[in-house]
Amino acid sequence: MTVYLVGLAALCLASLLAATLSDRYRLLGAALVGVAGSLAALVGAGRVLLTGHPVALHTGAVLPLTGVDLSLDPLGALFVAVTAVVGLAALCYSVGYGAHATPGRTATAMLPAFLATLLLVPAAASVATFLIAWELMALTSLLALLGEHRQGPAIRDAAQWYAAMTHIGAAAILLGLVLLATQVGSQSFAAIDAHHRQVPAPLASVAFVLVLVGFASKAGAVPFHVWLPRAHPEAPSPVSALMSGAMVNLGVYGIVRVGEGLLGGGELWWWLVVVALGIASAFFGALHAAASSDIKRLLAYSTVDNMGLILIGVGAAGALAADGQRFLAALVLLAALFHLVNHALFKGSLFLGAGALQHATGTRDLDHLGGLARRMPATAVLFGIGALSISALPGLNGFASEWLLLEGLLHGFTSHSAITEAALLAGVAALAVTGGLTATAFVKALGVGFLGMPRTERASEAHEVGPSMLAGTALLAAGCVVVGIVPGIALPILDHAVSSALAGGPPRALRSGIGLDLASLSGAVDPALVVVGLLGALVVARGALLLVPRSAELRRPRRAAAWGCGGDTQVPRSEITATSFAEPLQRVFADVLRPDHDLEVTHAAESRYVPEAITFRQRLDDATERAFYQPVITAVAGWGRLARRVPNGSVHRYLAFGFVALVLVLVVLA
Amino acid sequence: MSSHPAFDVAELAAGVVLAGAVLALWRKDLRALIPILALQGAALSALAAVLAVSDGNLGLGVVAGVVLLAKGGVVPGLLARVVRADPGSRETAPLVNVPASLVAAGALVVLSYLVAGRITALAPDRLTRLVPLGLATVLVGFFVLVTRRKAVSQIVGLLLVDNGIALVAFLLTAGVPLLVELGASFDLLLVVAMLQVLATTIRARFGHVDLDQLRELHD
Repeated sequence: MTVYLVGLAALCLASLLAATLSDRYRLLGAALVGVAGSLAALVGAGRVLLTGHPVALHTGAVLPLTGVDLSLDPLGALFVAVTAVVGLAALCYSVGYGAHATPGRTATAMLPAFLATLLLVPAAASVATFLIAWELMALTSLLALLGEHRQGPAIRDAAQWYAAMTHIGAAAILLGLVLLATQVGSQSFAAIDAHHRQVPAPLASVAFVLVLVGFASKAGAVPFHVWLPRAHPEAPSPVSALMSGAMVNLGVYGIVRVGEGLLGGGELWWWLVVVALGIASAFFGALHAAASSDIKRLLAYSTVDNMGLILIGVGAAGALAADGQRFLAALVLLAALFHLVNHALFKGSLFLGAGALQHATGTRDLDHLGGLARRMPATAVLFGIGALSISALPGLNGFASEWLLLEGLLHGFTSHSAITEAALLAGVAALAVTGGLTATAFVKALGVGFLGMPRTERASEAHEVGPSMLAGTALLAAGCVVVGIVPGIALPILDHAVSSALAGGPPRALRSGIGLDLASLSGAVDPALVVVGLLGALVVARGALLLVPRSAELRRPRRAAAWGCGGDTQVPRSEITATSFAEPLQRVFADVLRPDHDLEVTHAAESRYVPEAITFRQRLDDATERAFYQPVITAVAGWGRLARRVPNGSVHRYLAFGFVALVLVLVVLA
Repeated sequence: MSSHPAFDVAELAAGVVLAGAVLALWRKDLRALIPILALQGAALSALAAVLAVSDGNLGLGVVAGVVLLAKGGVVPGLLARVVRADPGSRETAPLVNVPASLVAAGALVVLSYLVAGRITALAPDRLTRLVPLGLATVLVGFFVLVTRRKAVSQIVGLLLVDNGIALVAFLLTAGVPLLVELGASFDLLLVVAMLQVLATTIRARFGHVDLDQLRELHD
């Protein structure tokens, strides 16, 4: 606990340094102290994870009336560790990211502060502490998001959406947790956990639904995700990585902590709702990711997708536990948490890689990129690792957790309740569909962004980014590879987390080893063997090629066709773009994506049959936003206009307000 | 505070202040408002002087002088200059017409008697029983502020509110400390001077001093 607290203190110090040091040392000083702080937090959390013994601390010194209750159990420590790793990479990365145009003091100071609050939330062990940590997180993340606000109005718009959504969510969580605390008569999590049976079932359901709304909005689950595709792209890239790799996780943490922990599992339908949220998010997120041409927006929607997969796992685990299938529940929850860890690693590295692209070319639009693999080879390799991981290819970490999740869901068909089985089946289908869509999205990101020819001058003038940025990205990418090849190393840690999350300490779901082996169910995979086999096959194939004598046909010199249409005169404009790559998908899912095309043809002055320029613009609407949010916004704006009629500028009316209020008060007094 | 004449003077002064407020509500001619304010100032000053004599309080005596100078002399003088700059200006169409205003004033007086009951119950004597008159002056002054259109009427409304407050202060606490009264009087002078300049500027700019037509300024 001490090491963890030292880490938090170091991050606060880093924030302070960033706010006070001179421009020259600001970034470096904050990053160095911040990296030390994240390492300390990682060590503190790692000790809890490896031993499985929770540590706790209560101090009355910080907050009046309630004091601060902190406790790190393996579940919380898992989230602290994940956050610390992503934070480490993001802080390292921020040195190079801010080197050219040094960001303002607030922006620099908010990154370590945001990280500190992210590390604090999973350790909170009472309602008051949790809510304060949560609010602090909302506030610092909002300020961190506004880091580059001078670059355009889109950031302010994103910040408004984010602020509104996060505060609605926080209000729902506040109501839910306070309801529980008043029913139990104590605000400490341990007391609520011990006496949750005192809470009448309907009230427990109300509390769960309230916290679910709050946490789902933080996790970016459809339909509460609207802030996410706005905020993640507009934030500075280290902040995007933290938001997507660490902050959204805390939504999942909240659902597991309150649903499985404080409320002891609750009722079946709660978890079916979670599964439904997960399926909607996975499908919707993957589809929009496949259709987006803004690379950070694509990544943001893919976060929605992955959070959906994790929620499917969490919900399925809850449903299976409510069915009494504790073993399977533990397996599925482990898979979900594993995917969460992996998502943090690959999405963190992808966001940092996308930041490098933006840094080098000044644009996030894939249609303006291309050919970057030759100009930024290291970034291309790191981004490629992330893209292959997220597409769940064997040998990388995304495969390990998605395989485990799929196995868990499939084995769940032995459940006793038909509705659970149906939910699991839908989950499997969602996993399959999103797997394909995610692969499409990242083939597009990698292919259009890094391969082919540069489409614009900026892309052709791109240069490799600095070593600190590469180091930050590489740290996370290395994690993807290591966990991908030997997923077994993560299992003991995840086991501790799962057994502290599910009440009653279920049996270990997996046999320890370097691969994944379901202990008592049939099913095992060893990615290390797959990788060795694939590499071996490659070597053999290359060797075989050497042996084959080259035919005379191949040795003969080639000639280009006279008019150049034979393919040798490839120009950037004839290459496939991100928009055109996604076009068939957009046609198929036009009802969900609702693409809005705008085609403008300018004719040459001489003849109107000769087009001079063709401008094509396309905007994708978010269907949920139009269905759920626009009516509310319109109504609120309407009320606002009505209210504006009251103060019409007449001095007499303003005076009359005061006079009438005074007279009314006097009448009440009399 | 033992002699009966002192009480008589106090009652008379309080009555004059309230009557002045109601008169200000009644008269449409802006020129007629000036002597009313001067009379109110004199009445307040007389009240302070009587209290000073009966209590043997020198500070209160000075306050009486200051009040006479400020509320009885300088402020009405300043207002008179505003009115003189625009002769024949009348409060032609108040937002609430005069008969209705008088009825409302009656209701406000009743209300202040109801409210002040609690205050007088704390220390019932002949002086505190006059507090409702002060409260009523405040309310009527506020009512003038709300319903009258001309800038001068607004200033008058503000002064009526201030006079009412001063009256209540004298009656309840036997006068505020000298320093506070000096400060308050000085503030009031400044406000009136500023409003005078403002009213003159508005007239120069827009050709009228009708505040109701200035609503284009909002936002």
